[in-house]
Amino acid sequence: MQPRYDASMSLLTNLMDNSLDEGYAQAAARRPAGAGPRDWRRPGWLLLVGLLAVGLLLATAAAQARARASSTAETRSALVREVQARTTANDTLEKGLERDRAAVAATRRNALRLTSEGKALAARLATLEVVTGASPVIGPALVIHLSDAPSDGNNGADVDPRTGDAADGRLTDRDLQTVVNEVWASGAEAVAVNGQRLTALSAIRSAGDAILVDFRPLSPPYDIVGVGDAGAMRTSFLEGFGGSYLQALRDYGIDYSLSTKHSARLAESSGVMLRYADVPSGTETHK
Amino acid sequence: MIAVLGLVVGIVGGLFLEPTVPTGLQPYLPIAVVAALDAVFGGLRAVLDGIFDDKVFVVSFVANVLVAALIVYLGDQLGVGSQLSTGVVVVLGIRIFSNAAAIRRHLFQA
Repeated sequence: MQPRYDASMSLLTNLMDNSLDEGYAQAAARRPAGAGPRDWRRPGWLLLVGLLAVGLLLATAAAQARARASSTAETRSALVREVQARTTANDTLEKGLERDRAAVAATRRNALRLTSEGKALAARLATLEVVTGASPVIGPALVIHLSDAPSDGNNGADVDPRTGDAADGRLTDRDLQTVVNEVWASGAEAVAVNGQRLTALSAIRSAGDAILVDFRPLSPPYDIVGVGDAGAMRTSFLEGFGGSYLQALRDYGIDYSLSTKHSARLAESSGVMLRYADVPSGTETHK
Repeated sequence: MIAVLGLVVGIVGGLFLEPTVPTGLQPYLPIAVVAALDAVFGGLRAVLDGIFDDKVFVVSFVANVLVAALIVYLGDQLGVGSQLSTGVVVVLGIRIFSNAAAIRRHLFQA
């Protein structure tokens, strides 16, 4: 006997050919010949109960599915509402904080202006605030623009830093650390990377392929801005280790450009907080 | 007509009473529905073929639902629950499709 050409699909063929329950055919065969098919419209309690069960099952499933869908949607919209409410509350708090900080600074300025000792303190405070990144800085600046090597087809700037695959021509946290340190060493008073002000406690690290400054991810290209005597900084940077480092980076296809700006404004660091305070001796404490 | 009445009463009752399904049985409800649909389409086709039998219909419905739920339950215990439910849905789905095609041929002669 010739094997069926669809023998390998016998299971599927069987399913397609015998989709009707064999019980019906058997029941029909059991009936006395000539009796004819039973009239299905004839009232039958069994059928009634069976169809009642079918209807009940279908309706229950539908109700269940609807309840599940609505509860999911409810949870989601509740979460969205909460997120929005908290964001608004956060914004309000932040504004209040800004206002309070400005008020504190104004009060301090006024208080320190009264005595010559205070004036000296105020000058020292201003210097310290610049160095620690607690206050914004405006001044001439050296700007170093670094961009990843263009990888096949897409520029480094287009690649999502979290998902893009690691390439040779990609800046690492080490590169950025070195360049930033050299900018400090060449005499910068304040440094920022992509708008993130650096303080003595700032960290430049990497997580995956992204470079983080103070735990905030940066996306290429990178702009390192150092405020200070721009001309002198430029010379010092290029003659020092920084210049040769950038040249070495260029060998990997990482492009850089150096420029000076007459005036750049670096915002204060968002990470500065009050860690330690005490009341000077000999001052009256207000209770 | 008593059959249609039974179906309507069942659906309306289910929608209005909203019987709560025990949590343990909830995963088997969708499979049970697919099995029930298979029995219903089989019954409809049998009606059109002229060989409908109420006993066969009710027994096949109850057995289909129970066996489908049992297979999935067994699969859950063995750790292959999702694969087995896929298998059940594929098999019953094919049967529903071919029965629906037979019904269509009966009704439209096409």
